[in-house]
Amino acid sequence: MKLLLPYTNEALKLIKKTRAWIGPILIFILIMVAFPLTVELSSTNLSDAFYPVLFISILLVMMLATEDIFLEDYEDGSLELLLISNKSLSQWVFIKIFIHWLFIGVPISLLGAFFNIGANNDLNSSLMLLPALGISTYIFLILFCFGNSLSLTKGSVLGTLITLPLTLPILVILGKLTSAIIFNINYFEFLILLFGILSIIIFAFPAIISRIIKTHLE
Amino acid sequence: MESSYLIEARQLAYKINEVKLFSNFSFTLKAGEALHIKGSNGSGKTTLIRILCGITPATKGEILKKDDLVFTYLGHKNALKTYLSIRDNISLLGLSKNEDLKTLLTSLNLQNKLDVIIANLSFGQQKKVALLRIFLSNSDLILLDEPFVGLDSASHNLLCKFLESRLNNGAGLIYTSHISAGIASKDISID
Repeated sequence: MKLLLPYTNEALKLIKKTRAWIGPILIFILIMVAFPLTVELSSTNLSDAFYPVLFISILLVMMLATEDIFLEDYEDGSLELLLISNKSLSQWVFIKIFIHWLFIGVPISLLGAFFNIGANNDLNSSLMLLPALGISTYIFLILFCFGNSLSLTKGSVLGTLITLPLTLPILVILGKLTSAIIFNINYFEFLILLFGILSIIIFAFPAIISRIIKTHLE
Repeated sequence: MESSYLIEARQLAYKINEVKLFSNFSFTLKAGEALHIKGSNGSGKTTLIRILCGITPATKGEILKKDDLVFTYLGHKNALKTYLSIRDNISLLGLSKNEDLKTLLTSLNLQNKLDVIIANLSFGQQKKVALLRIFLSNSDLILLDEPFVGLDSASHNLLCKFLESRLNNGAGLIYTSHISAGIASKDISID
């Protein structure tokens, strides 16, 4: 139970700060609903354009979701207390990102898969897309958190600019994975590649981010 | 360092952007002693406290601490979540199950405000909520940066009484304050 306390604390903070997680989800829904309404495309073209729009909107929403992820704790002094306590700062970063993924990444992945049914009329491709969305939302969250930690006291624009190039390879892999889903070839190779990237950065980046935050506090 | 010493600072110096804030700052603090750091605005009192806490590294000098020294710190920032209620903040700080909590909330006149959002409290009330962390801790050393700012006279007296009782029980205290606390302490100027 004591082990779960940091998770429940972060969840409590996020539950009460509804705009931090409902906002990005609503923006995502708005983009996905507005996209087919604003362009006049045949149904074939619509399904072709669906995946790029889906991935770019996920990228945008994850960027928004992490805009001030560490700022509040930095400004109210919580990070100082965490630093002088015996608790691990990198573990706290890991937990914070995980809870954000749970509240934002998971719903967006589910919604993305749901919208795919509407766009492509294919449940099977949605089921294949779902794990890829789950992994990629987590990767985007981690990368944008890294950017935000770099520009903690300088505003989020600088961090986003630094991080965006890091997200490009993920977008390329997602593009390839889409083709793999459509043509039903090499799907698992791309999924494993995404999972491999996640399994490295999921532990490495919280350690790096915590070091950057510590430097800001000093 | 003698075993009764809680903390010892040797020749501490701090420089920011090539501007020297303070230098050759040394002191020792034994159990049951209080140290009042004095100085004008901008002299580096807060930085010194942060150095003693281990948040900011000193430019020069060293700090020796008693093995397994447990300390609590309250700085200018209250570490409170303004969008949460007092009850939620107490829960986040892990103080909900403390048996002295109820009595303390009554003493601080916060017992009827448990469900009030921190943002809706006055500065002084927010300070009192932040002080709960200090009141309910059982540390060897208490580090406070301007703890009396914003407190009414009743809360001021309560804090002084608490600090005196902790000193009598063998804890150490280091604090900065422009307001006279009436606590028997060694005064040391940073200017």
